[in-house]
Amino acid sequence: MTALSKRIVTVLTFNNGVLFRTKLFHPDYRYTLNFVDAWSVDEIVVLDVTRQGGTGAKEFHDAIGGFASRCFVPLAAGGGIRTLDDVARFLDSGADKIVINTGALQRPSLITEIAESYGSQCVVLSIDAKQTADGGYEVYADAGSMPTGRRPREWAQEAEQLGAGEILITSIDRDGSLEGYDLNLSSQVAEAVGIPVLALGGCGSWAHMQDLFSNTSVDAACTQNIYHFTETSIRSAKSFLSKRGVAIRTE
Amino acid sequence: MIGVIDYGLGNLRSVVGALGKLGASAELVATPQAVARADKLILPGVGAFGRGINNLRERGLDAVIRDRVLTAGIPILGICLGMQLLASQSSEFGQHPGLDLIPGDVTRLTSDATGERVPHVGWNTIRQIEFSRLLQGVSENAYFYHVHSFHFRPKDETAAVAECTHGHAFCTVVEKGHIFGAQFHPEKSQRQGLQVLTNYLAL
Repeated sequence: MTALSKRIVTVLTFNNGVLFRTKLFHPDYRYTLNFVDAWSVDEIVVLDVTRQGGTGAKEFHDAIGGFASRCFVPLAAGGGIRTLDDVARFLDSGADKIVINTGALQRPSLITEIAESYGSQCVVLSIDAKQTADGGYEVYADAGSMPTGRRPREWAQEAEQLGAGEILITSIDRDGSLEGYDLNLSSQVAEAVGIPVLALGGCGSWAHMQDLFSNTSVDAACTQNIYHFTETSIRSAKSFLSKRGVAIRTE
Repeated sequence: MIGVIDYGLGNLRSVVGALGKLGASAELVATPQAVARADKLILPGVGAFGRGINNLRERGLDAVIRDRVLTAGIPILGICLGMQLLASQSSEFGQHPGLDLIPGDVTRLTSDATGERVPHVGWNTIRQIEFSRLLQGVSENAYFYHVHSFHFRPKDETAAVAECTHGHAFCTVVEKGHIFGAQFHPEKSQRQGLQVLTNYLAL
């Protein structure tokens, strides 16, 4: 019997060409590229969160290229993608998958365009969600700054219909909090669609990953914090999860 | 020279990068002349089958690939969509003929009974069921990175040398003489994937 492993995904955010950890969606802590454990991680996501008018596009694309040539794992990249030309540039830099967010909210047909040109497996729809006063969730655009009136569940379902291959659901409230994933949000989205779902925001310990995998059908736990990717930490997270019965790839 | 066939689909850079890391001299080959110069071929590719075979045809590559593989006996390794293109036909978005290098068809993964998510994305273990030159030295129950919604069913069952399970068992490595295919991405599967490429280079 074979089993699909749960994934441990490293998410790296760049601002003006510099790699940062974020907290509540603002750059918080700067670090270098060398800490990524290229052998244990299952996948790498790199996002350019530079605001309009910022710089660093070249450094960002160089970083994608660097990971593509050094890390033999899938590489997803995104940030500011609005057109198929943008997509082509990201793929040329060495990305396997494209992460879109605001571009798809402005023009949902972008999802279909990418899926038709490169296949659904190439399109990761990223959804940033914030809790609302009534206990529900709302989707935000423009790096968490612009409420859209959309609900994450429905947006995920619509994106699946339009051709998205995976959903990355991020809790804005939990970003950088180390309080654990928003299990309710993650679960809502994972139950709403038949495509794989990746959860981001709030991971502060290996037990939080276990909580995510035990309580939701999410496929991947994403993490952004530096002490999660020092040389041995992903291995240690995987050994922790594996001992607790989570299907995980270990070497 | 290892010719990595460039027919306008997907990320070829990682395949060339992995071959480079293993010390192979790999080149992107995009014309019939360039394909004909290669001693060994790799057909990568992601995306839809119909677009894949059309792109090969428009560039005049389908005939030269068949000729080099079937007449000159040049080895070929198809990866992901490239493996599926080795088949006779596919039912992905309509019926499309393939390169027909290993007789068989390509059909959709069915997950209705088990509720598994499709596409099948992520790391999954494979199990060897026949002798395989491609899988020499690969650990038992090794994980490989898969990303696909369709799978190859070779007519000759002994050509399916390894299988994987997602909802149901499917062929993940096909091998017939000097013709090889991997449904997973060896270039994205860390050490075990590099072992598969090493084996192919050593043939």
